[in-house]
Amino acid sequence: MLQPKPKTPPADPTKPAELGKPIDPPAQILRVRFAPDGTLLAAACSDGLVRRWDVTADAPADLPPLAGHNGWVTGLAFGKDVLFSADSWGRVSAWNPAAKDAKPLWTVEAAHDGWVRTVALAPDGTTLATCGKDGFVRLWNANDGTKRSDVATVADTLSVAFGADGKTVLAGDLFGLVREFEVAGGKVLRTFEAKELHKHDRLQNVGGARCLLFDAAGKTLLVAGAEPKTGGFVQCTPLLIAFDRASGKRLWQWKGANDNEGYITDLAWHPDGYVVASASGQPGQGKVFFLKPGEAVPFFVSPKPNVHSVALSPDGTRMAAALTNANSSGNGKVKGKGGEYPANVSPVQFWKVPKAS
Amino acid sequence: MPPPCTPADHRLSRRRWLGSAAGATAGALGLGAVSLPELTAELRKQRRQVLFVWLDGGMSQLESWDPKPNTPFGGPFRSIQTAVPGIRVSELMPKSAGVMKHLALIRSVSTQDNSHSAGVDRVQRGDPKPRGVTYPLFGSAVAKLVGPGDSGLPPYVWVKPMNGGFIFKDAGFLGPKYGALALGDGKPPENLLRPAGLSAEDDAERNDLRRLVDQRYAADRRKEYGEANGYAFEMAAQLQKRIALFDLSKLPQKDQDRYGTHDLGRHLLLARRLLEEGVTFVKVTSYGWDTHGDHFNGAASLHPQFDRPFAAVIEDLHERGMLDNVLVVAMAEFGRTPRINGHLGRDHWPEAWSVCMAGRGIKRGVVAGKTNATGSEVTSDPVDAGGLFHTWWRALGIDPTTTHYKNASQPLPIAHEDMKPVAEVLA
Repeated sequence: MLQPKPKTPPADPTKPAELGKPIDPPAQILRVRFAPDGTLLAAACSDGLVRRWDVTADAPADLPPLAGHNGWVTGLAFGKDVLFSADSWGRVSAWNPAAKDAKPLWTVEAAHDGWVRTVALAPDGTTLATCGKDGFVRLWNANDGTKRSDVATVADTLSVAFGADGKTVLAGDLFGLVREFEVAGGKVLRTFEAKELHKHDRLQNVGGARCLLFDAAGKTLLVAGAEPKTGGFVQCTPLLIAFDRASGKRLWQWKGANDNEGYITDLAWHPDGYVVASASGQPGQGKVFFLKPGEAVPFFVSPKPNVHSVALSPDGTRMAAALTNANSSGNGKVKGKGGEYPANVSPVQFWKVPKAS
Repeated sequence: MPPPCTPADHRLSRRRWLGSAAGATAGALGLGAVSLPELTAELRKQRRQVLFVWLDGGMSQLESWDPKPNTPFGGPFRSIQTAVPGIRVSELMPKSAGVMKHLALIRSVSTQDNSHSAGVDRVQRGDPKPRGVTYPLFGSAVAKLVGPGDSGLPPYVWVKPMNGGFIFKDAGFLGPKYGALALGDGKPPENLLRPAGLSAEDDAERNDLRRLVDQRYAADRRKEYGEANGYAFEMAAQLQKRIALFDLSKLPQKDQDRYGTHDLGRHLLLARRLLEEGVTFVKVTSYGWDTHGDHFNGAASLHPQFDRPFAAVIEDLHERGMLDNVLVVAMAEFGRTPRINGHLGRDHWPEAWSVCMAGRGIKRGVVAGKTNATGSEVTSDPVDAGGLFHTWWRALGIDPTTTHYKNASQPLPIAHEDMKPVAEVLA
């Protein structure tokens, strides 16, 4: 007797739903960001390109990539009608993100000595902050790329963010310290300590404060990365620590289940008042998850291989995440279907995100 | 090529050699009447030594000796010009770039094993043809064929993190006497010094009793076991006299600053001291290079910690006039994959990687071998572990085609007989 086909349960309307299959750019992606009007998605890619898609229709449409970077494009930040990008050779550029055949509005070739870790734009759009492996945090005039000031932090600086009032800039380093500096003058106002995000294992410094994010009110600072167990192979458990901005005290933290889960790689704040995060660990391990402040268990988890970035549209109704293809690891000369030695890529998955009930 | 010397040629004690026999010795060397310092200098010139730096786990060639920036597998880092026009290395190795005029790179190494445990053994034993015997590691082989020299110290010393001890299994069929004296964290062996409550006379009596018991033990066993046992005590006695060797704090601060005070820095500084004192083969191992995950942040942290002391020891050996005597090799059991995995790591890659060499018998400021534009293939003649051994023996003045081990009268080649040296790097 034939068994009846099990019915596919209806999608839960309170949970995010994947919008079709991922798009498939031919490179690994380090960062994705939506434009402020939600019409564009930009991706910082490992082949030196900033890829762009028009996402106004259901199916994203390719736009010509922005070319000129070297190494990896590692930082992206949108302003009003402007997109800032940075790369691992030290270059920072500004672009008109909607222009079909875009040339940079301005470029600073050696904004840092080597790897620019990330960029952040002040809330008023006038100042761009960059931080780098060279241990500097630098502030630039956003309209023309002229340097405003230098703040040396001593250590490799992995993350940067502006305070809500734009008067301070925060920088997270390899040792799990987040220093808050005055924009005018560069004085260090305070240090938030998240030292468990770092471990010295054998010769290696592992970890660091990888992501910084403020909540919508600017009162809670989220610092994320992982609690490392070992270097080398790198086993580490995702860790997110929330600080009260005013007092500097810890409010709560969330930690992943095990040390195969890896790092929290990106953060976004949903307008409905929760954290959206991506994580990437051992090859094949990763996820996108939603977490309400202070709760121990995420209320939404989508396991995906090695998610390197996540972005929300400004109204929070769409989400995009840069994943990794399956079977991305392997010792020796793994062969592709045609016998070639294949590179790995970052499929970009979109979701529709419902409003909170 | 004159036949290599044997250990018997080095058994004269230092005191006899430099003392009343000095005149006869000077005559034998054709030096006429010479002073003691001149004799010492001449002896030093004749030394053949090896510094073998092992980066266990596999240092990435793409973030060190053979960068491929702006290519699909190139990663985030730039390449930089070295002191030799036309040779570029990763930006993570600026100090090694500065001493490239002393270095030789082989970029076409291609070996057979992508596993750590088997790969380490195969590479360090020269991957010989299977003959039903366990070949010695390179350190033991050099200890046997070059001998202990005039230092009175063990010929094969291994400076490593964590535990020390006497690693007899390195010696394979040569017998335990040619094993490695491992110095855990560069410290002398535990309990080396005579305890405070034991007088020198009592200690001497105990050693006499020990020798008697050893003789009886050895009478019914293979010669090698008796030799190894007695040898360990002789070594300990020599090390007791040289205990100051291990106290790096006695060295000028500028030396410590130059090498760095991290593990690999201290261990390479100790290696220089051991080589200065005449140890034939010094292996320095660093662990933690197996960067399958978060590789680029790992390399940003790890590579400078190799670069600084490695460049320091090269310059230091050169400044002390020792680089003509000491063959220097820096390598691992394999390289790392060009393909970047989902954890932003690089996996094991024996297919196309690099070895760095310097010193005795090696050309300066050269690169041998090539890989393709993305580093996924060797495009010149590949060099296997056997080829490396041929190259190293030649650099040490030993002909691997005419020199053999004697394993209980069975002659065994000292390098894989189907391989050949990398002529482009031999001086």
